[in-house]
Amino acid sequence: MSTMNLNGVSRPENQSKNRVTHLSFVRSIMLIARREFRDALSSKWFLLYTIAFTTLAIGVSFLSLAGSGEHGFAGFGKTAAGLLNLIMLVVPLMALTAGAGTIAGERERGTLLYLLAQPLSRTELLLGKYVGLAIALICSLCIGFGLSAGLLAWRAGGVGAGSFLMLVVFASVLALSMLSLGVLISVQSRRAGVATGISLFVWLGLVFLSDLGLMAGTVLFKLRVQEVFALAIINPLQAFKMNVIINLNASLDVLGPVGMYASQEFGESLPWLLTGVIVLWCLLPLAVAIMIFRKRGGI
Amino acid sequence: MRTLTIAITLAFSIAVPHALGAPASEIQRLIDEATPGSVVEPTPGVYEGAIRITKPVILDGNGAVTIDAGGEGSVIEVTAPDVTIRGFILVGSGKSVSNESAGIKANNGPVIIEDNRITDVYFGIDLKQSPGSIIRNNTIVGKDLELGRRGDGIRLWWSHECVIEQNTVRDSRDMVFWYSEGLRISNNTVIDSRYGLHFMYSHNTTVRENHLTGNSVGIYLMYSNSIRLVQNQIDNNRGTSGYGIGLKDCDDIDVESNLLAANRVGIYIDNSPSSADSTGLIRSNKIAFNDVGMLATPNTHDNTIYNNGFIENEEQVSVHGGGQLFLNDFANNEKGNFWSDYNGFDRDQDGLGEFAYEPRSLFRTMLAREPNLRLFVHSPAQQAIELTARAFPELDPDPMLSDPKPLALPPRFDLPSLEAGAGGFHMALVAFGLVLFSALVMLRLTLERNNTPVTGNKRND
Amino acid sequence: MIEARHITKKFKRVLAVDDLGFDLKIGGSLALWGSNGAGKTTLIRCLLGVFPCKGTVRINGIDVRRKGKQARAQIGYVPQELAFHDDAKLGSAMRFFANLRGVELAQAARSLHVVGLNGHESKRVRDLSGGMKQRLALAIALIADPPIIVLDEPTSNLDSSGRGEVVDTLLRLREQGKTLIFASHRPDEVITLADRVLVMEQGRLVQQTTPEALWPSRSSVRSVRLFIEQGDEHQAAEILREGGFAVNHGNSGLTVAIEQHRKAEPMNHLAARGITVRDFELLRDVHDDDEPEIRVRKEQISEVLR
Repeated sequence: MSTMNLNGVSRPENQSKNRVTHLSFVRSIMLIARREFRDALSSKWFLLYTIAFTTLAIGVSFLSLAGSGEHGFAGFGKTAAGLLNLIMLVVPLMALTAGAGTIAGERERGTLLYLLAQPLSRTELLLGKYVGLAIALICSLCIGFGLSAGLLAWRAGGVGAGSFLMLVVFASVLALSMLSLGVLISVQSRRAGVATGISLFVWLGLVFLSDLGLMAGTVLFKLRVQEVFALAIINPLQAFKMNVIINLNASLDVLGPVGMYASQEFGESLPWLLTGVIVLWCLLPLAVAIMIFRKRGGI
Repeated sequence: MRTLTIAITLAFSIAVPHALGAPASEIQRLIDEATPGSVVEPTPGVYEGAIRITKPVILDGNGAVTIDAGGEGSVIEVTAPDVTIRGFILVGSGKSVSNESAGIKANNGPVIIEDNRITDVYFGIDLKQSPGSIIRNNTIVGKDLELGRRGDGIRLWWSHECVIEQNTVRDSRDMVFWYSEGLRISNNTVIDSRYGLHFMYSHNTTVRENHLTGNSVGIYLMYSNSIRLVQNQIDNNRGTSGYGIGLKDCDDIDVESNLLAANRVGIYIDNSPSSADSTGLIRSNKIAFNDVGMLATPNTHDNTIYNNGFIENEEQVSVHGGGQLFLNDFANNEKGNFWSDYNGFDRDQDGLGEFAYEPRSLFRTMLAREPNLRLFVHSPAQQAIELTARAFPELDPDPMLSDPKPLALPPRFDLPSLEAGAGGFHMALVAFGLVLFSALVMLRLTLERNNTPVTGNKRND
Repeated sequence: MIEARHITKKFKRVLAVDDLGFDLKIGGSLALWGSNGAGKTTLIRCLLGVFPCKGTVRINGIDVRRKGKQARAQIGYVPQELAFHDDAKLGSAMRFFANLRGVELAQAARSLHVVGLNGHESKRVRDLSGGMKQRLALAIALIADPPIIVLDEPTSNLDSSGRGEVVDTLLRLREQGKTLIFASHRPDEVITLADRVLVMEQGRLVQQTTPEALWPSRSSVRSVRLFIEQGDEHQAAEILREGGFAVNHGNSGLTVAIEQHRKAEPMNHLAARGITVRDFELLRDVHDDDEPEIRVRKEQISEVLR
């Protein structure tokens, strides 16, 4: 073992406190984001999710194209509907679990404390992790969508390029909102396993239980269209779905009386309303997560 | 500044002879001077103004005569019978709703209108009381207005026994036939309009080999009986109602060998047939990739639907408002239809499945009972319900139809194929862009930037 | 200048730090002395502002609770065991912390050189030995050349030579005018490095003194562990302290610092007050202790058995 050598450590006389620096808010966030992104890229979950999503997206596109070759065009509704279902199922799962693991995982490995002992605020750490994961998720989605778009292009796709691009954008925003929720779960959890469990439960709730519950409510209480609509768009997944359908069809009439009501009542502002709901789902859980992370101060 | 003005004036004065050309009264004078039945051939060029034909003449522009009405009234108005208008380029009718200005207006046919190019017009060709007319090989492009404010590409009003063929209409409202019987409508193309072909109280007509794409509705028959729709190609009609073919209160309709693809609804049947002793035939059509293959009102009855291929429609058959279609036959004596979602098999190799096609969908049944639930289509919850229904057969609803002789293989369709959809190139761009984007982001964020001194934003405490 | 006032930290129902306060001048060196569970680690985390806690901590006048980031910029922290992403390479870890501290990469290299880890940049953190990890932690703490170094039992996972090197480095840093706060349960480290000692017990500050007062004759200091009936432990600790002994009341009995030839004194002192010592064990002289403490106890047991 070599001896320690202190030649490099500065002399006491030029050691004045004004030499001590720290990064600005934004630079700290970007630094953490970069680290988080790099960690995500080399992690198994990112690889797994990217491969799974890409395979599924290509599979769905391929299936929706199958048999359409002889007439050279795809079922318009089928590709879109297939992708829509896939996104609603898989993207929340990806984003929720990715978010849930982040703080809880660091906590479990004991690395959180060490980061927090650095000149870094809790807000910066959390936001940095959020940004890093968000970029990783969006990259993962872009790869999946990009390759399936390649397939659609090759087989002369039925979904317009513009609509498809909007689908990617909406899916990314949905991922951001679910990531936000995942991070909120994470700051509350001591162990990554527990956080993942909770996020799976939340996923189940958002994807299935809330819709099934609302369906039951609609039947049992004979809810009026405006009530069904108001209750439905609380769920970011439904808001996402409606936004995609508006983008594809310019109206929500495929969604029956409730959709027609929404199209008539809100008209041009409907996409903004729905986007607003999802953006709120991005901001609120993240804000609450930051608040809890700062107040509770668990490591 | 002055130089610029001069330059512009010069430019105009050079371009003008072709663009503004002679007054249309020159052609008018030729017509007025012509003897009935003679051929009038104006000098090639551009003429300004409108024309009125009051005697039977053959007006031939040889494809080189442009008449520009300058946005006022109709370009050519015909009040005499036996007029032929051929080889003209007609532009710039008025667009006021009350005048119903047109490219060509005739009210005392028969007339022959062929090989014309009619653009920037409110109505394209508007025939009233002109039986026996022929409209052939014209191209009609409407004004760039919103759908409801456009005029019709071709309109027939009380004009029996007309031939409408090989015309191309785009950006107009409808190609519409009012109270006109015994027409022959074939090989026309209607694109980006409202109703591709629209029949109102017009009977006994054959509609063959037309191509209707990108319209709000492909073919809409209303209160029109004994119509044969044969070998038409009807795709991507996705307006608010978005029917490939819509049948409203029509008797004795025969829909045969059409391609209905990627429409919102393939065939919509609303109270057809409506009379007690009439029937409907829907046979040998390829109904593929529509959101709904066939949509029918619950009172629909006496249709025979066989030898069709229902291929990968998102919803193969749906009853508007719920109910069942047992008053219709989904097979004739020998065969039923091909259903891409049929999960039976053909054991005895006779080309027919061994048990009936009876689609059951718990979710669709729920929809029929509570239409508000349609909000939840395209969601994983819907899939969950269908899966549950499959797992617990006692939950299975009654089927909405029964095809006793489902075909094991799709019938051979003697149909022209569509060209590959446009947008492949844009889609390829999107694909490339997305992958490139993620690759760049990954590279940018993962590459270690060596010896980067972190500068700036140092704060002093 | 570090000022701590009324620091109180409660975990659910347990008071980990109880109304503790102290001052430390620039260039000073403060040891936190106490057994496991005495609250040393929690106190350190409160000082760093990692835990929100009651009371105030000012680092060079900066309130840790309100401006934690600025305060922590003044501090290099060395944990008991470095917990950093195992997959990371040593070089990229250093780069990350250099970036985080806003210093040039050259300084990271210099810092690695200081702890003798230069040349190991491409090794992964998980492949480092305990001693190397600890030196890496020290290197990271030194990257930005902060005026204050806070260490939480920095040598507890090291063997004697590793320990010696760390202590050596810290000593040099101290000589250069760095302010040190460190937790330790090794008297030799405290004697070598600290000029003041906070004796902590169950979260409370029981004594604020100097190493010399705790271990009057540093060359002959030894520790003896006394096992007393459970209920009497607290009282025994009080009695011994009144008698001028340095006492550490932990989970496994009382540890008392004694001089070489007066090992029986604490026992006699207690016996005189009517408290029975059930058993005792002698902890070896810490200066040449390269064996884990477990061995000591085994020897003791065999001695007793014989």
